[in-house]
Amino acid sequence: MRNLERLGEKMQLSSVFQAGGLNYALISDTETNKTIISELPLTLSEEFGALLRGSGAKPGSPLVLEASGRVEGYGVFEFPYGPVSWGVPEAGAFSLMTYGERVLKVVPRLNFKKRGIERAVLGRTPEDALLFVERSAGNFSAAYSTCFAAAVEDSLGLEVPSEARWTRAVALELERIHNHLYVFGRLAEAASQNIAATQAHALRERVLRLNSRHFGHRYLFGINSIGGVSRGLPKDERRTLTTEVRLIGREFSELVQYFLSSRIFLDRLQGTAKLTRKDALGLGTVGPSARGSGVQWDDRLTFPLEPYEDIYVNLETEDGEDTMARTMVRVKEVESSTIALRELLDRMPSDGTKSGPHRRRADSLGAGFSFCRVESPSGDLIQAVQLDGGGRVGSLHVRPPSLVNWLPFARSLEGTVFTDFQFAFESFGLSFADSDR
Amino acid sequence: MWDMPKIWVFRGLKKGILTTAYPKSQPTSEEVPTASLPPRPTDAVDWSAGERGCPTGAIDSGGKRVDLGRCVYCRLCSSAGFTFDDGSGSRAGALQAGLTGRHAAGARRIFGRSLHVMMIDVGSCNACNLEVLNLSNPYYDLSRLGIAFTNSPKHADALIVVGALNPAMVDALKMTYESMPEPKLVLSVGACAISGGIFRSAEGFVSPVGDAIPVDVVVPGCPPSPVQILEGLLLAAGRLKETGAMR
Repeated sequence: MRNLERLGEKMQLSSVFQAGGLNYALISDTETNKTIISELPLTLSEEFGALLRGSGAKPGSPLVLEASGRVEGYGVFEFPYGPVSWGVPEAGAFSLMTYGERVLKVVPRLNFKKRGIERAVLGRTPEDALLFVERSAGNFSAAYSTCFAAAVEDSLGLEVPSEARWTRAVALELERIHNHLYVFGRLAEAASQNIAATQAHALRERVLRLNSRHFGHRYLFGINSIGGVSRGLPKDERRTLTTEVRLIGREFSELVQYFLSSRIFLDRLQGTAKLTRKDALGLGTVGPSARGSGVQWDDRLTFPLEPYEDIYVNLETEDGEDTMARTMVRVKEVESSTIALRELLDRMPSDGTKSGPHRRRADSLGAGFSFCRVESPSGDLIQAVQLDGGGRVGSLHVRPPSLVNWLPFARSLEGTVFTDFQFAFESFGLSFADSDR
Repeated sequence: MWDMPKIWVFRGLKKGILTTAYPKSQPTSEEVPTASLPPRPTDAVDWSAGERGCPTGAIDSGGKRVDLGRCVYCRLCSSAGFTFDDGSGSRAGALQAGLTGRHAAGARRIFGRSLHVMMIDVGSCNACNLEVLNLSNPYYDLSRLGIAFTNSPKHADALIVVGALNPAMVDALKMTYESMPEPKLVLSVGACAISGGIFRSAEGFVSPVGDAIPVDVVVPGCPPSPVQILEGLLLAAGRLKETGAMR
């Protein structure tokens, strides 16, 4: 075991999965920016144990993410919230331990919408499996399908043309923009800034329409196939897309200026739901939520798939550790995504969007697995795929970004008040569909 | 440095009107993208030419009939000769919400002027949820039609159900339905709610929503675009004629 005692300080346990009868741990080293694969056994904390048991859970059995330590005291009771509510427009529930206004502990209850994607794809061809995988989480669909396709292509030894990979990156960045705009709009709704919220949602609708015009689907379903993309971006479309993205980027900056001039809005974000850097690392936080606490990890830079080595992406971090910091990371990421998009569209190679016939990499079939990490809008998404002898999916392991962000979310809410709940929930960008899959 | 005051009202006025003209006129291709159009069989349909077959079984083996309730709009059948656009540029064919036999004739008198809607998620991928939420953005602006979202089943006239019914959500769905005051409407939105869609063979799917509670209107799509959901709501409230025009 190499330096694993430093886990939680400079290193972060990202995922644990089974392949070929062995347990593997995937560890992110935030100092050297390397992904380390290590064989278990690792001593896992109780909290991670709950997460890992959850990945094997059957649909219908609830997954209760209870952090250790009971809360007791005069008048403490459990306030159940969900699974049917409008504040969280998805099926998922929370137990809030409280004696009144103050939240002492939050226990997320998951698996209300577990469809069992990892088991549903078994024995299917990778192309058919893609239809399931991209419907794991509708708002992170491009990240899911890109991650799955890249892992399968790696194990098949497919030479994917650069144009296809660059087109995927364009989809990923558009997805990031529309998700960050959604978070922004929801935060404004939570602060009762209704005009501001509708403006953010209107801008988001424009991005969704861009998606549908250039990729054929508002939520980017069906854009990927194994070995390429379903539809490329011709030269003239790249040009119009660049113009549109520039307009949206400019309008967003203007919108942010309006937001930041509203003291009421800022007051609600600053100091709300703090997550310390130590907790962020120790609890395995990923994505903008981790970067808002100063964790330097972004898969686009630390696990770069093809185009991201060639284009400039800035690692956006903040040290505020609160909702404001997480929001500002997202704001800066929208801006850096629009810059990245301009570069992606400008320098995209034209060498076709489909790979040729594939040569199977012999070692990848049967025992081996290949994994891929993609930076989804809410953070690091990991998939490990194993193909069986017939080239069908033998096993699939998904480590969704939302799943590991539930415990940090719960920790950040300890000691806050009920009205902070919405701000914490939206700023972490959590999705039940994503974590339940 | 003097900072320009940021006044939202002026900004809003500067943006002009974004809202769709639907239902006064047909939706545009921006509002109902081609990806939301149903597959249509052509004369050239040869299902055996398609390598993979229909992943949800929406197209029967003869290859001439499409069950829209099952279709996930993956467009794989385009290689077998199905087309997605009638070429006229009209989006009339995109409006495909359907009434089940249950729907009462007097709906317009009861719900025609004001409709309070609640959404329940019973196991979706979040795309349908987001499209329903999108109905309140300025592009669709639900409230101009006297339709409003509510967050309690006790206040709701209509229930929008999204997602493939999960074993963990069966009781919650029934309890929500029973909490609604009579008379009430139920819309089953998206392929997952209508038939299970792509998840009809997955472990986490129990049954179509229609088997658990009575459904009045189905809105096919994966996910249906906001205009299509809006059409379903207007249809449920008895405000559309058979032809799709406003009554």
